[in-house]
Order: sequence, then C-alpha cells, then structure tokens
Amino acid sequence: MNPRIPSTLNPGDLLQRLNRDVERSILRARNGVRYVRGTHRPDLGATPKDVVWKSGKAELWRYKGGDRRYSPPVVIVHSLVSRSYILDLRPGNSTIEYLTGAGLDVFMLDWGVPDELDADNDLERYVDWYLPRALAEVRRVSGHDEVTLAGYCLGGVIAALYAAGHEDARVRNLILMATPIDYTEMGAMVALLREGRLNPDEMVDETGNVPADALYSGFYMLAPTTEVAQKATLLENLWNDEFVEGFQAMATWSRDHVPFPGAAFRQLVELLVRQNILMTGSIPLGGRQVDLVNARGNVLNAMAERDNVVPPPAVEPVMTLVGDPARREELRLPGGHVTFGTGRSAFKHTMPKLTGWIIDHSDTS
Amino acid sequence: MPANQPLWLRVVLRVERAVGEPIEAAVRSDTYFDLVSTTTRVRNKVGGAAEGVSRRCLHLLNLPAGSDIRRMRQQLARMERRLNQLSDDVAELDESEPRSGVR
Repeated sequence: MNPRIPSTLNPGDLLQRLNRDVERSILRARNGVRYVRGTHRPDLGATPKDVVWKSGKAELWRYKGGDRRYSPPVVIVHSLVSRSYILDLRPGNSTIEYLTGAGLDVFMLDWGVPDELDADNDLERYVDWYLPRALAEVRRVSGHDEVTLAGYCLGGVIAALYAAGHEDARVRNLILMATPIDYTEMGAMVALLREGRLNPDEMVDETGNVPADALYSGFYMLAPTTEVAQKATLLENLWNDEFVEGFQAMATWSRDHVPFPGAAFRQLVELLVRQNILMTGSIPLGGRQVDLVNARGNVLNAMAERDNVVPPPAVEPVMTLVGDPARREELRLPGGHVTFGTGRSAFKHTMPKLTGWIIDHSDTS
Repeated sequence: MPANQPLWLRVVLRVERAVGEPIEAAVRSDTYFDLVSTTTRVRNKVGGAAEGVSRRCLHLLNLPAGSDIRRMRQQLARMERRLNQLSDDVAELDESEPRSGVR
C-alpha cells in the first residue's frame, strides 16, 4: 500500500490535499521558471564583513557580529581550490553566522582567484608570507595576542605548517577540518598524479596554474551521476523556496572552483602526494625542516565520516603526528566534505560541536 | 530513503544508484586512469600541433598569433611578480618590528 495514501479519506482531507497540491504546482511552476531563467540568485557569503588586510589576491575579512564575548579571535584559513563562501553559504545557513552569533570574533583568510601573477606562489608563500602577515593584522585589530587558527581542507595543511614552523606562532587552538595528511588514502582524486600517470606540468595551463575546470572535473568524476538524483530531488521540492535556494547556493559553489597556483601544485604533487611526506611528520619548507609535532596549541582534528573528497583515513593521522600528543582531540562528524559549511548535519552536529569546542578553549572577554 | 518520497522519485534514485555505482567503480579503475592520461596527452599534442600550424599561417601574414600574446602576457606577469616581490622586500625593510621568527 502506498504510505502516502491514508486508508480512509474523508472529503475534507481530500479537499485539503487537493488545495495543497494545486498550491504546490503553482509554486513549482513559478520556481521552475525562475530556476531556468537563472533569476533569484541566492545571496552567497552575505554575512557583513570588513576587509582588514589585503596582499595580492589574499584578503583578510573580519565578520561583523553581535557581541564578541570570547577571545582569542577565530581565524579561518580557507582551502586553495574552492571558494570560501561555502562557510558562509547563505543567511540562516552559514557556519560564519553561527560562530559570530555565538559571540566569537571571526576572521577569514580568503585567497581570492589566482591568475598569472600567482603562478609562482608556493607553499612557503602561503605558510611563511601571507599567513604570518595576516595574523599580525588580526592581533593588531583585535587587540589579542593569540588566535584560534582553523584550517579547512588544504587550508588545514597551511595552518598546521604555520603552527609547526613558526616559533612565534601565538596559536592557542589549532582546528583542522577535513585536513588531508595521508595522501595514499585520498583515493581517485590524486591517484592519477600519485602513480605518475599524469605529471603536474601536464595539468598546468598557459597562466601557469591548474585551471578551475580541471579541478571541477576531478570532483565531478568522484560521483558523476549524482547530479541526476539531485535534479530529481529538486524537481520534487521545487515548490519549496527554501529548498530551491539552498540547492542553487550549493550548486553554484560546487561548480565555482578557483585555479590552483602552479608552484604550490607542483610541490603538493611531489612532496605531499608522491612522497606522502606529511606521514613522516616532517616536511622541508623554506630551507628548514618543519616538524608537525611542534604545532602549537590545542589541536582539534575534525573529520566528516562520509567525506569522499578527504576520507577519514586520510585525516586520522593528525592524531599521531600534529602537535603535542597530550593536547590532541578528535571530532568525528556525520556528513560529507561540506558538513563544515552547510546541510542538515552541519546544523545538528558540526556547528554546535565546533563552536562548543572553541568556546571551551577560549576566554570570556 | 524517506518513506514519504513519491514513487517516481524513489525509482529515479534507485536507478541512479544502480547506474552510478558501477560508473563510480569504473572511474577508479586503472583503465580509466590510463584513458584520462592518454586523452590529456593526445589533447595537449593535437592542441600544440594545431597551434603551430595557425601560428605559422599568421606569421606569414605578419600577424601575431595567440601564442605570441600568451608569451607576452607571461613575460608581463613575470615582470609584475618581480616588481611585487621588490615592493614586498622594500616594505619588509621598512618594518620596524620583526614579523615572524621562522624556526
């Protein structure tokens, strides 16, 4: 028996259902036209913010929130391959909004969209040049000496290398969200490069960077048919404005990759992917050896259990390699790679748990 | 799969998984990896050859080719990067306090 059809239907219920279906059909038609025409774009990355520092394409944003009740400030270091608005997707569905709403002073280090001028940016440029300068600015504008440094995906690698490689890194807490350490566990995404079937130079275009399209194709091929399921679910929920807006926001983000700076990409492939060097606990960087165990602060290793971009086995070694063993904690979250930014699971688990951990390791201002 | 989903949606989702799972397995196979690397190399080679022909034709007419423009853009970008580097170095020298003590 169809569970949607109750065993007995009185005329009142029937009329109510009919009304609902007609109403939904009208809304479906309206939202369908809007969707096809591409009007009513969702408001992405809308939490009000100030640009407090800028260098090259990199920008440091400070979000305007209510009452900043906790210190040190939280500085989020975003990944090099995607757009940072995944953490501030849309009003009412934003990690940034959640953090600022909880009384945290939140900064975001956004790398912008690299072009020819950024082709020479290597890991040292991010770890030893941009990040120290951005954090000096955070200290200056916030008036706090320490920071809670949170890195997402490859941003986590940059944050960990900074915390480990700088004696003067005043990192109270280091949060690594879906941060890949063991690249043999990264699956299909890096297999082509790891096994030498493709060389990094074959992926770099005339700008000297890996084009955003190549990165999109890599992510798309992880699950090429899911778009069909997503579109079917959209069709069913087309009457629901909230659902359509969320769908559009997520679809926009998942297609909106940025080019990967060529020099950093070559280093990533050679050191991290082919040599899997982070698993040795040490990496040569800027003429010195950076030992991950020297990472300062309390370390929170946050991973998503259904992450198919950075699967948990790639992230788990943080617990044996990064920071002081007595100050490491692990947080396993239901959901996929984007649970740090959006989705039902983000609201139910990720945001409350991450925020709670940060507050527990912060002072009341 | 929520029970309140209509039948058509449940069918679509089941079919998607039935088709999707083998495809996902296929794109993780050695054959697929070989295909991608071969395709990439062939595409680069064909692109390069076509570009060479069009460059020679344009040069016969004394016109700049796309590759000339690209090379010029790369040179300009190199120069701009060098200038940025120099201005960073100057700013560094001007800074009174040390920024970072690399270990």
